[in-house]
Amino acid sequence: MRLTALAILVGAALMAITTPAMAAWRAYISHPLGFSFSAPGELKVEKGAYRGAVAGARDALVYGFVDDNIEYKVVVIDMSDKANDAATLLGEAEYIFQEGKKVLMDTFGRVDRQFGRKLTIDLPNNTGRATAAFYFINGRIISLQATVLPANGDYDSPEPARFIDSIAFFTVRAPDDAIELPAPPK
Amino acid sequence: MRRWTSAALAGAALMMTAMPAQAAWKSYINRQLGFSFMAPGEVKTDVGNFRGAIAGPRQTIVYRSVEDNVEYKVTVMSFLQAQAEGATLLGERQYMFQDRKTVLMDTFSRVGSGQDTVYGRKIVVDLPDNKGRTTGAFYFTNGRLIALEATVLPAKGNVASPDPDRFIDSIAFVLSHTGPGAVELETPKLE
Repeated sequence: MRLTALAILVGAALMAITTPAMAAWRAYISHPLGFSFSAPGELKVEKGAYRGAVAGARDALVYGFVDDNIEYKVVVIDMSDKANDAATLLGEAEYIFQEGKKVLMDTFGRVDRQFGRKLTIDLPNNTGRATAAFYFINGRIISLQATVLPANGDYDSPEPARFIDSIAFFTVRAPDDAIELPAPPK
Repeated sequence: MRRWTSAALAGAALMMTAMPAQAAWKSYINRQLGFSFMAPGEVKTDVGNFRGAIAGPRQTIVYRSVEDNVEYKVTVMSFLQAQAEGATLLGERQYMFQDRKTVLMDTFSRVGSGQDTVYGRKIVVDLPDNKGRTTGAFYFTNGRLIALEATVLPAKGNVASPDPDRFIDSIAFVLSHTGPGAVELETPKLE
């Protein structure tokens, strides 16, 4: 009896050591940009670049996280000078995301009176599976992208969907303890 | 030999009589609204209505023809004061088109090239109760939502007819690409 209990304890301890540590999910909000979302891991704010034939060359603001070999990214592209072309600019961003890749899902995204799209693609050369959502709101493209890297081992992980579906444009829907994102650089 | 030739000619004549007459396809243009397309049959202009949760109630301009049991329709809605909401308005229109129908295809569509490209979507649905198959294409450009819909009615028999694609793919927003001789469409006044 004592031996069995000991074996169970040792087994449980071993499992805890071998399972990768999962970071807690936290809610984030940007009042100036008008959205909130949840993600695990440590937040990094980076500058990115985007280019489209219609959009031209653009700076992008990227809120990035990495946890358990999944990369989470919220990409904000300011298109306010061309906002009247919203539908085409959004379509172009979606098109570029999937161009030349194997598309596994391409469906409507509907959040807080905003219509967008959700896509899942397999990246070339077995470099991962990416799920993304695209919306155009207040003159900006807001795109959430989660990439499961091969090292994660589970391309069907539910975490990307949890991230993508956490977006909210009604700030009243954000949890009370949501962390305010750093203001976009001027 | 002569008998064979006469029989072949008579057969061909019979076939032509039995086949439904196919109207010629014509090019249509509306310079004021900024688009052109091709359709068969006589295109009639009408005013219609649309209501969406986001779009609200809207009057629409409808160009419609029916030929060989296929209905061709171009619907135009003006959102000149809400152009920055174009992506969501377009998404709502596409969503309503396929809501509660069997979706056979839903893919990107692109009209034009380079910085003149207009991105939209092309969707094919089967209508409920075997009422036919509709191919739709949806764009939002210059403050207007433009929907092309071609419905193959059950009487047509061939739901896989290539005519809807020919109609849908004929849309152009750069009017210099429209050939000469296009029929000018009128723009009815809305209330």
